[in-house]
Amino acid sequence: MNPIQVKQLLNDVIKNQSDYVELRWHRRTANQFLATKGRVDVANQSRTEGVGVRAFIQGAWGFAATANVTPEGVRKAIDEARRNAKIIAQLRQDSKSSLSSVRLSTQDFVGDGFKELTGLKVTDKLGKVIDIERELQSSSQFIQTARVRYTEYLEEKAIVTTDGANCTMQIAQPELSLSAIAENAGDRSTYHKGAGVSGGWTCLFKHPSLDHVVNDVAKISVDLLKAKYPEGGKKTCILGPAVVGLLSHEAIGHTVEADFVKSGSVAQGKIGQMVASPLVTLADTGCETTQGYAMGNLPFDDEGVETENTIIIKNGILNSYLHSRESAAEFGVKPTGNARAWLYNDEPLIRMRNTYILPGKQKLENMIAEINDGYLIEGAGSGQADANGEFMFGSSYVWHIKNGKRQTLLKEATMSGIAFDVLKTVDAVSEEFKWDSGTGHCGKGQPAKVDAGGPYIRCQMNLGGRQS
Amino acid sequence: MQSNSTPSSTIEQQLAQRAENLELGAHHLMQFASKKGADRSKIAVSASFEQRLAVESGHFTLANSLASQSVSLLLHKDQKKSSASANTTDLKTLEQTCEDCLALASFSVADPYLIMPSADEAPKATPLDHLFDNPLSSLELYELKDFAQTVLSRLTKDKRVALDKCDMAISSSFHGLYNSLGVMQKERQTALSWSFFGMAVDGDEVSGFDYDGRHVYRFEGALQEALRDADRFVEKVIGNLYPKKAKSYKGQVLLSPRAVEEILLETLLFHAAGTSVMDKKSLWMEAINQKVATDSLSLIDRPHESRLTGATAFDSDGLPTREQTILEHGVLKMHLLDCYSAHRLSKKSNGMAGGPFALTMSPGKETLENMRHGRGDLLLVDRFSGNIDTVRGDFSGVAKSSRMLHNGSDQGPVTETMIAGNIFEILKTIPAISNHQELVSGAMLLPWVLIDQVSVSAG
Repeated sequence: MNPIQVKQLLNDVIKNQSDYVELRWHRRTANQFLATKGRVDVANQSRTEGVGVRAFIQGAWGFAATANVTPEGVRKAIDEARRNAKIIAQLRQDSKSSLSSVRLSTQDFVGDGFKELTGLKVTDKLGKVIDIERELQSSSQFIQTARVRYTEYLEEKAIVTTDGANCTMQIAQPELSLSAIAENAGDRSTYHKGAGVSGGWTCLFKHPSLDHVVNDVAKISVDLLKAKYPEGGKKTCILGPAVVGLLSHEAIGHTVEADFVKSGSVAQGKIGQMVASPLVTLADTGCETTQGYAMGNLPFDDEGVETENTIIIKNGILNSYLHSRESAAEFGVKPTGNARAWLYNDEPLIRMRNTYILPGKQKLENMIAEINDGYLIEGAGSGQADANGEFMFGSSYVWHIKNGKRQTLLKEATMSGIAFDVLKTVDAVSEEFKWDSGTGHCGKGQPAKVDAGGPYIRCQMNLGGRQS
Repeated sequence: MQSNSTPSSTIEQQLAQRAENLELGAHHLMQFASKKGADRSKIAVSASFEQRLAVESGHFTLANSLASQSVSLLLHKDQKKSSASANTTDLKTLEQTCEDCLALASFSVADPYLIMPSADEAPKATPLDHLFDNPLSSLELYELKDFAQTVLSRLTKDKRVALDKCDMAISSSFHGLYNSLGVMQKERQTALSWSFFGMAVDGDEVSGFDYDGRHVYRFEGALQEALRDADRFVEKVIGNLYPKKAKSYKGQVLLSPRAVEEILLETLLFHAAGTSVMDKKSLWMEAINQKVATDSLSLIDRPHESRLTGATAFDSDGLPTREQTILEHGVLKMHLLDCYSAHRLSKKSNGMAGGPFALTMSPGKETLENMRHGRGDLLLVDRFSGNIDTVRGDFSGVAKSSRMLHNGSDQGPVTETMIAGNIFEILKTIPAISNHQELVSGAMLLPWVLIDQVSVSAG
């Protein structure tokens, strides 16, 4: 069945339901190829399909899911979800939730590139992955292992609720990542780079991160063989778009998710307060179109709320949290379209989409020229942030800046700090901008495809290095 | 192949019905794949019933019941391979999935080392009956709520605890693995699981977050275990309040069992892995029976250990699992080989496809009390949030939920404290290992380990 046919089925089943019932059909087709050492380690197609049902009775949620996409299967799941909601209603008689009223989506959305990607032959996709791996492996005598991974998610959804959501979407999310281990005389170094988009095959390969990607991965992994570690301590740093994306997502984004705010995150009670330099405006968007190439675009969230560009920090002042319909009702604001579920059998949680700092007016080269002794930090590793705003990120490599110039390539560094404190030290924001986190997943009980990015920003930050 | 269970049938009966359907489907698929030209096929199937209660911000927010299933295929044709999976038992859909999978294989690269074990190489594994508990499988969601309320009361007794999320779930599952050379394995498990995530808030002071949780296979004694974990969680988040700056130094650091897992094990297992050896990425390619760490370090995989969540009767190639020593008194005793990496290395698999499954590190001789004392400044690292380069063994990151000790006396929690070092250097000079082990996330049994040569940078 196609999404429109499923939507009709869901409409037939939901008729005459009392209370709030939400039916969410989700079919994900995921194709994944992994080539390394001249062989194909993974050539996999997986398909997952079913209907997730939420019932909201007496201010309490019940959830059930079924892979049986028939009227009988969905009706049975509704009965289970209703029964489950009643159990929760009994357990929390003193504390009831409500849902904010909002105009829900009725669109049938087909995303850019969906038809292109579904129409492309698998031989072309797998062949390209094999070719890139061969090119990377043969690009330098020092490349010990090349590894190329391609993943595409083809997402199809239909959402029907008793209060008006009646929408479908078909979107494509392809991504490509390359990594290399370089080796020389017993020394080893690694480097990886990639990109992901909400779009098709053509859009993916136009992503700026994939310009000269084979040469970049080979060159940097080999150059890092000779590199030393940066010196630890508090330093003047210019963070590249990937690191700015990590900072925006991990250190700020999670602390402003309304469920986390309710629990007491560091952002609680700070709306309207100055939390960053006036140069910083930070947002989370589900409908990014101006810069292109963002991975986390969605026409509506998994409650049927149309997505928007939510300004979290405006000129340094905390402006908004990220909301589901339930949290928006509790905070007395409009929902922001951030309720997302990973698969049909996951319940929606408050999640980010594309999180970023808006570009400024400075040129990167001028920002570098103004530093006597500092670091330019490029490429993001993993990252994590804490309830109190303390964060940790890894980077791929670091340039030592001396007397206004990039001097020496150094190995990766780990950075840490208190997010709002670091953002208050921002004294320059570049006009150059890039989405640069489209190959990863965010984890919060469930995975989620997100993107993050930004301009280059200059700030003070702790670098983890070696003590002598 | 739709389930014909009735509402009155028990979960155990429904699981048995699903398992039978899945087994029939697996055999049908293997025949179909062969008819369509596959040289070999492997089918892995699973079914589970799960019921869950979720708590957010200290209140019950959601009750959830799920029945799920999946069928995964791995096909070899003309020395090429591909795989596919679907969450259906509808035969027409699965046949189409099989045909798509074969088409995908034809575009792949030929690999003469592809292999699957025969029934002789992978005899039927002895089922681990202790992993399935009838009282647990028959527990209903409304019965779980009493358990959950008791644990929640314990977690929120101290009003400074801000419990962000807490889940409690019961599940019954079946897992089968079959291949066209006659391998047939199956097992079933029950689980009662809990997880806590949150922090402490005292006025304007917000602590770092922490988490705890695990699962047990049996209902008996589960509440006491969950309450013990709840007490430990509360103690940790309250203990994280009002952190201070640490001192910078280079030297010894005391790792909790959780930090041992997070910092040391990934790199150790990467270099012991058969795939790393076959791809010449391992530094321990020629190190079998050689010393790679200090005498005090021993690692044993115990796949039949009923306290550990990874327990299983067979590996993902279908070979029966068994207790195996990976590292004995610092000497590497084996590489972790699945059938493919073993074939590439002209060896036999040791049943480690997807393993190790239930890792234990042997206890040492020191008491924890002695390890904390008499060392001037000593950072106690309970959790590590950072990056590890498994190829080189370098690690760098933030010490979370961690404390500064001075001559054994607790100086309190620390903030913005980073640690860095190299795991291979550390392995050569481990000063002490505790004389007791602790469960880590229910998945491993590990001791406390004192390590040296670590850079501690205070923010």
